[in-house]
Amino acid sequence: MTAPILEAAGVTMVFGGLTALKDVSFTLRDGEIIGLIGPNGAGKTTLFNCLTGLYAPSRGAVALRGTRLACDPARVTAAGVARTFQNIRLFPGMTATENVLVGRHVRMTQGPLSSLLHGPRFRRSEAEAAERAEKLLAFVGLTRFADELARNLPYGDQRRLEIARALATEPSVLLLDEPTAGMNAQETQSTRQLILAIRDLGVSVVVIEHDTKFIFTLCDRVLVLVQGELLVAGTPDEVRGDPRVVEAYLGAPPEEIEAQIHRSEV
Amino acid sequence: MTTVQSPVPASAAPVSGRARGAGARGAAWLRVAGGLLAVLGALLPWATFVLNEGPYPEKATLQFFVAPLGLTGFRLHLALLGLAAILVSVRAVRGRARIVRALGWGIVATSLVNGLYITVEGGGLGAITASGGSAAFGAVVALIGGAFAAAGAVGGGIEPLPVREWRMPWWAEWLLLLVLFGLLLLVVSAVLTSGGQGGVVNPYAGAVFLSFLAAAGGAFAALHASGLLTWLAAVAERHRVFSIVVLLVMALLLPLTGAGTEYWMTVAANIGVYAATAIGLNIVVGLAGLLDLGYVAFLGIGAFVAANLSGAAASEIGIRLPFPLVMIISAVVAGLFGAVVGSPTLRVRGDYLAIVTLAFGEIFVRSAQNNIGGLTGGANAIPNIPQVSAFGTAFNESIAIGAVTLPAGVLYYVLIVLLVAVVMLVFGNLKNSRLGRAWIAIREDEDAARAMGIRTGPIKILAFLIGATLAGLAGAFFAHKTAVVAYDSFRFLESVTLLAAVILGGMGTIPGAVFGASILFVLPEKLREFADYRLLLFGLALVVIMRFRPQGIIPDRHRRTELAPVTAQDPPPAKGAEA
Repeated sequence: MTAPILEAAGVTMVFGGLTALKDVSFTLRDGEIIGLIGPNGAGKTTLFNCLTGLYAPSRGAVALRGTRLACDPARVTAAGVARTFQNIRLFPGMTATENVLVGRHVRMTQGPLSSLLHGPRFRRSEAEAAERAEKLLAFVGLTRFADELARNLPYGDQRRLEIARALATEPSVLLLDEPTAGMNAQETQSTRQLILAIRDLGVSVVVIEHDTKFIFTLCDRVLVLVQGELLVAGTPDEVRGDPRVVEAYLGAPPEEIEAQIHRSEV
Repeated sequence: MTTVQSPVPASAAPVSGRARGAGARGAAWLRVAGGLLAVLGALLPWATFVLNEGPYPEKATLQFFVAPLGLTGFRLHLALLGLAAILVSVRAVRGRARIVRALGWGIVATSLVNGLYITVEGGGLGAITASGGSAAFGAVVALIGGAFAAAGAVGGGIEPLPVREWRMPWWAEWLLLLVLFGLLLLVVSAVLTSGGQGGVVNPYAGAVFLSFLAAAGGAFAALHASGLLTWLAAVAERHRVFSIVVLLVMALLLPLTGAGTEYWMTVAANIGVYAATAIGLNIVVGLAGLLDLGYVAFLGIGAFVAANLSGAAASEIGIRLPFPLVMIISAVVAGLFGAVVGSPTLRVRGDYLAIVTLAFGEIFVRSAQNNIGGLTGGANAIPNIPQVSAFGTAFNESIAIGAVTLPAGVLYYVLIVLLVAVVMLVFGNLKNSRLGRAWIAIREDEDAARAMGIRTGPIKILAFLIGATLAGLAGAFFAHKTAVVAYDSFRFLESVTLLAAVILGGMGTIPGAVFGASILFVLPEKLREFADYRLLLFGLALVVIMRFRPQGIIPDRHRRTELAPVTAQDPPPAKGAEA
């Protein structure tokens, strides 16, 4: 519970003149669920993109179990960091099973020659992958959709399939970008159960979510990102009581805003 | 015609039509009337006079009922389609409306083809109606009959495609598949040879071929509509290895059918070359989703490499290597070029990549035209490439086994069948592997694929490399078969035709690519008189396919559900052949 598994140190991301992330540092411990909240445009997804190698941070570094991660999504995934996307990015024209099998890509060893010849080792590895895919689909409760095209799945199930696909890469860290967006209360509840079950598999989880109630009741620790800066980090109770968080979400009291305007005019 | 089926128990028969009363009954009458008119049209005379080019095939000027039992050719097809429509209309058959609609469209297409030919050749509508005291309304009557049948079928309401799940003991299914593939061989042979060799001496070759294609398409579409084709495909899938072996054997038996002449062997070998190339292109376009507009260049590279290593007098490198080695070297060189052309895919996507590949194709043609390095012969081409030979027999000689004399070129045909089989094996195995899934994932969403740990760069280049290798293999064969390699066999038009073959047949499938390549490379052979309109007709065919069947004629299992709109699930008229 204490060993740091993922460590971000001074991650800064600059796009042209815009600083999207400013010196963000945090650690994720083994078996922990961290919530990442913040207003729209705070840089939450940008942070995810830096963690998974989709963006190369302008400064700072990300390390998994003490090893610095490369800025290449494929290698980061192979190292053990998997993610889902805010706007679902499944492979729409592939079946649910095939989507999960693509997730197995980094854990399979068939080379082009083996793919060409379909020898006994190839068949073993295919059978093993198919079995894993079946188990993962059962784990997220999508067995009945195994042979259905991803595009035809109901919205909530597409999110679950994306999680299954990410789990197929055998991650030690799973990054979930708004896993309950657009879900009703019941679906949100089952997603909570799913995330807890994933934690029980020994996977550490980082969740981006706007639903603060969901975050505060699920996570061990919560990070609040505001305008690219890590504002507060702590337990749900600490964060909930922090006046700066309230301000970031609800805005400053009117007199303070007036004072700010006044200052900027001077 | 094998559309006649055992009647389904009354409880299972769809009775939706009956409930709607008079309208449905009217539609039923319309279907029967359509069938009757088609049969009647087949028996009526079709032309009012003997055409300038000579008598139209199948005694089109015969008078009414001269020889009702002596029907042959397109009139026989029409009569059979019409009879099938009547029979299906009066019996409770599952998928009836769809079947009759397919038959109706088949009748329409067949009578249109023949009617139009006679009209054009005869110099006006008088040729198919009445002129000079004689009347010939066969085409008009049959056309109306087909339209009635189709309209009646649609008017009665279209039910979903019936699903059949019969099971038989394994030996019975094997026997069924054996008979089925045997019949398929005969149909392929008949379609290939129908109309004979096009040219000046045979002015109606194109008409007969198109008419045959339309009738066969209607029959296949009707079979498909009855759910039988889907069921047969499922049976074949259950006995996969057996089916593949039987299909291969049947393909090798083609020289023993009516197509066993030197000319048809050459046509079939050319189809094989383009089928192999189209399957290679299918890896790049169909699986990995990378649009390649200069693909035929790899066929050309393979052909020129083979030409140079074959000991042809005109080649710069005066060495002669054994054919298997030449093939391997051609494939490797083409593959290397494939990797080079594929390398921009690391940075260029979509439309931009298409432009890059288009440019590569042009570079290749211009370089070959200018005899680059003395390797391509320029405008003189590289002629007199020696024939492949084994055990003292050149592959272009006819061979005699016992009493059977096989036509010249049969060995080339056997070789290309084996080559296509290998290419199919490569495609099929790769598609169902980690690599194939990675390609499809890249096609679906490249960023998500990267996030799943797929190293998209090398894998995209690999798609180009393998596709080009297969084309290079076909190119080496092409060089020896045609004995001449000239740059103008590898123009942009050929690339477009290959791409059209892949899209027309169905992206991402083997039968689709083979079917597309066959159709697109047989048609110009048959329709010599339309050579000037070739591109126009291709364009029209593509527009029609994209409108009515965007997933291609033989679609991928996935694309079928993905692209088929509910209203347009059926094949358009005369294009419904499904293997």
